[in-house]
Amino acid sequence: MILAYLLRRVAYGFATVLGVLLFLFVLFFLVTEPQDIARKALGEKAPPEAIAQWLANHGYDRPRFWNPDDPADSMLVDHYRRMLTFDFGRSDADDVPIARRLREGVGPSLALTVPLFLIEVPLAVGLALVVAFLRETYVDRLGVVLCVLAMSVSLLLYIIGGQYVLGKLLRWFPISGFDPRPAVIARFLALPLAVGLLAGLGESIRYYRTLFVEETGRDHVRTARAKGASEGRVMVRHVLRNALIPILTQVVLMIPFLFTGSLLLESFFGIPGLGSMTVEAIHGNDFATLRTMVYIGALAFVAGQVLTDVSYVLVDPRVRLE
Amino acid sequence: MTAAVKGCGGRAALALLLAIAACTNDPYPQADAGKKIFYTAYGEAPKTLDPAVAYSTVDHMVTGAVHENLLQYHFLERPYRLIPGLLESVPEPEPLPDGHVRYRLRLRDGLRFAPDDCFRLSEPPGPWREVRAADVAFQLMRLADPAVNSPVAPTFVRIVGFVGFAERLDGMRKADADFAAERIDRQYAAAGGIAGVHVLGPRDLEIELSEPYPQLRYWLAMEFTTPVAWEAVAWWDGQEGRDGYAEHPVGTGPFRLAVYDKRSRIVLEPNPSWHGILHPEQRAPGTVYPAEGEPGDRKAGYLAPAYVGRPLPFLERVEYRLDKEDIPAFAKFLQGYYDVTGIVEESFDRMVKEGALSPEMAALDMALEKAVQPSVYYLGFNMEDAVVGARGGERAKRLRQAMSLAIDSREFTRIFQNGRGIPAESPLPPGIFGYDAGYLNPYRQPDLERAAALLREAGYAGGLDPASGRPLHLTFDTQDTSARGRLRYQLFVDAWRRLGLDVEIAATTYNQFQDKVRRGAYQVFMWGWVADYPDPENFLFLLWSRMARSEGGPNTANFADPRYDALFLRMRDMPDGPARLALIGEMRALLEDECPWIELFHPESFALLHGWVHNAKPLGMSFSTLKYRDVDPGERAAKRQAWNRPVLWPAWVLAGLGLLALAPAVVERLRRSR
Repeated sequence: MILAYLLRRVAYGFATVLGVLLFLFVLFFLVTEPQDIARKALGEKAPPEAIAQWLANHGYDRPRFWNPDDPADSMLVDHYRRMLTFDFGRSDADDVPIARRLREGVGPSLALTVPLFLIEVPLAVGLALVVAFLRETYVDRLGVVLCVLAMSVSLLLYIIGGQYVLGKLLRWFPISGFDPRPAVIARFLALPLAVGLLAGLGESIRYYRTLFVEETGRDHVRTARAKGASEGRVMVRHVLRNALIPILTQVVLMIPFLFTGSLLLESFFGIPGLGSMTVEAIHGNDFATLRTMVYIGALAFVAGQVLTDVSYVLVDPRVRLE
Repeated sequence: MTAAVKGCGGRAALALLLAIAACTNDPYPQADAGKKIFYTAYGEAPKTLDPAVAYSTVDHMVTGAVHENLLQYHFLERPYRLIPGLLESVPEPEPLPDGHVRYRLRLRDGLRFAPDDCFRLSEPPGPWREVRAADVAFQLMRLADPAVNSPVAPTFVRIVGFVGFAERLDGMRKADADFAAERIDRQYAAAGGIAGVHVLGPRDLEIELSEPYPQLRYWLAMEFTTPVAWEAVAWWDGQEGRDGYAEHPVGTGPFRLAVYDKRSRIVLEPNPSWHGILHPEQRAPGTVYPAEGEPGDRKAGYLAPAYVGRPLPFLERVEYRLDKEDIPAFAKFLQGYYDVTGIVEESFDRMVKEGALSPEMAALDMALEKAVQPSVYYLGFNMEDAVVGARGGERAKRLRQAMSLAIDSREFTRIFQNGRGIPAESPLPPGIFGYDAGYLNPYRQPDLERAAALLREAGYAGGLDPASGRPLHLTFDTQDTSARGRLRYQLFVDAWRRLGLDVEIAATTYNQFQDKVRRGAYQVFMWGWVADYPDPENFLFLLWSRMARSEGGPNTANFADPRYDALFLRMRDMPDGPARLALIGEMRALLEDECPWIELFHPESFALLHGWVHNAKPLGMSFSTLKYRDVDPGERAAKRQAWNRPVLWPAWVLAGLGLLALAPAVVERLRRSR
């Protein structure tokens, strides 16, 4: 039963990915001509001969959708063939193999996303427990207001504000940059982590707090209190444990995206991960890299959905997938 | 991947704790503090390090340092002077009976490539190899190779047999896929090489051109013609986990590439095989600090006795860091973590007062280096257009002259360039032979009254088109759709409106603009040109009819005047001297009268340097001067320390306030639950 359900889920996911690839192809070439890509790659002074040669070398001189002479030889067919066989090819910007770029970029991305994930989830759960514990005091009300405020501010503002205040004025951390050497890597990660935490905590705390408050009103919690369990024990044993199910499923959904990195944090802090690679591909008209990143993002999304379903079944015996 | 990932994640977590303990904004390891390292930022990663292809400033930042060229520019002297690099002397052209021209090149003795794994392919294998004349021939063949796709290949078609070689090679590859997979040197050999390039011996090479082209010498001062080892191209092929050659240069220059994480940092270190380091006793030009320069150089400190005659390079490492955004990069410069920087617009007024360093910055012991760049920005008319172009005859000429008189380029540079630029009177910028500081183009001195009179003569009195009775309508075709771009162009449109002309901005994307250019459907445009080499030919060819845009060349004005063409060809093939100067004067007078361009300005680069940086005279040409540069690490370390003490009290205040705010609620909650 569950296997059939999962297969169906994966099939839907596959159709979604195919659609995303088509959408990307059409949108990209609606606004960009292959000549734009060539000129970005070769520079403004490149003579027309060099542009034509580049287009031929990179397969952009073929018909876009349909080649009447050879239906298997069009840009769109090649696009699907490459993505579905995971043959990502070379970057349009600098001819570096994209598979290698991915290998090089995943480390820096994870160096930021994994600590962020590992710190943010327990911290948000902990703070939400405190706020829920102090419910109906001024801390709870103020906490909710602060959370909503924090959620409403754009990540960009956190980044620029963080760089200005913590980097420039207080001089606690380098303003931006990255160096993977052990002696200095932490200095570069500290500020993006702090900013990522500040920006993400508001939403998480508010969500978890709702779960906890909902749980504290349940009968079994009241029973536990009636039996004389201490307030701490009630919060941890009875509230936290039961609220873990929705938390877990939400957290599982995030895991595949750890690999794709953070677009804004990486770009603004100069971390050479997969997120900033995507942004560079957009700026640089690098279609080959951009489609790879979009493809991987779509796959991560589908994987997250399937994993969430599975984790539901695993943690909550009441849930059945059919 | 997983090992690397785990390593990275674990390391990051551990290091994070350490970082919080040792709060610092220093982006560099403590161990580097006392070293002669030059730090600077780059805004965009290099695209390629292949010397046959690299053409942008950021590419040259690396390729210029890891390759030495056959010729080079004198570091201090202006106007620019070529001196030998890898060659023993600057070659002179020898005319041949059939109109061809021959250059003989002789490499210096004892030149080596930087040590590299690729030389395991050599016969016999070794850690490095001597540089041979055949390596220059090999690079010339690469320029011709269609698969390399060098952007400068069209320049080299003057070499006898250049095109023939490219066609044979391409044909053989297309006919036989196995041939295309053969080792690159074998492919070139099988295609028979370039007929006009003769390797005469280990150090001697002859290049035969089908027509005179004195500018060839300047191309010998660029990385396009630097010797390249076939082993490097064959070995670094991007296969089996090896880098591609575009990321792994094997050069002959003063530095070599040590780290190439181009998305975060690039590191250069001295090349132990460079002839200046191997053979300091030879004191070859360009391997010791020069003893002579321009008149002002001694006063500017470029001829300090501590440097003159000393062997190069002075730096023990060069660290480039990627900083895509200007403002953080500039902030790091102010913290002392970068040694030089451009000036961001937002901070311009704080840094520069009336063209000089502001007192605030001067107090920090900074220096401002200004240099007019060998480039020109201009408004152009499409000379194939019926209204503004040559077909409009005298009438159109008067119109062009009137429009030129309405434009005040000083105002433009003041508003949009922070005053960084000098007004252009002709296509030639300062520092280029033929530039005359005393020359004033009579149509480039803003004068609305004279402009109105010229319009009357042209039959457009008050800017009115007699055919319609309404203001003459023209389009200004631009390739910048941004708000800022529009603002810039609006300045010109407003100026022309004062004459009564109705000029409409037609802002399109670059591609649409190119399409308009192909169809000839444009009237007025704005363009710029940055010189490849310091010869007047590299500017004046922009108006040569053979370079017309309609034929795919850079003459976007489509200016075609047989008188100009004849003068240009004579000037092009002539050595600098009074005769050439006279020809340039004639060409200038012709352009002044015909007015295909409204010359705007020659941009001026402003660079800020810290007091600990020495010998950073700007060159302007694409030629790396890193080997001359020096820093004083002691002074730098002291200043960095003084400028970057962390301010910690806000952390304690915040933590205290948080606790204070929380405590009553906790007490209250516990009381209630009890």
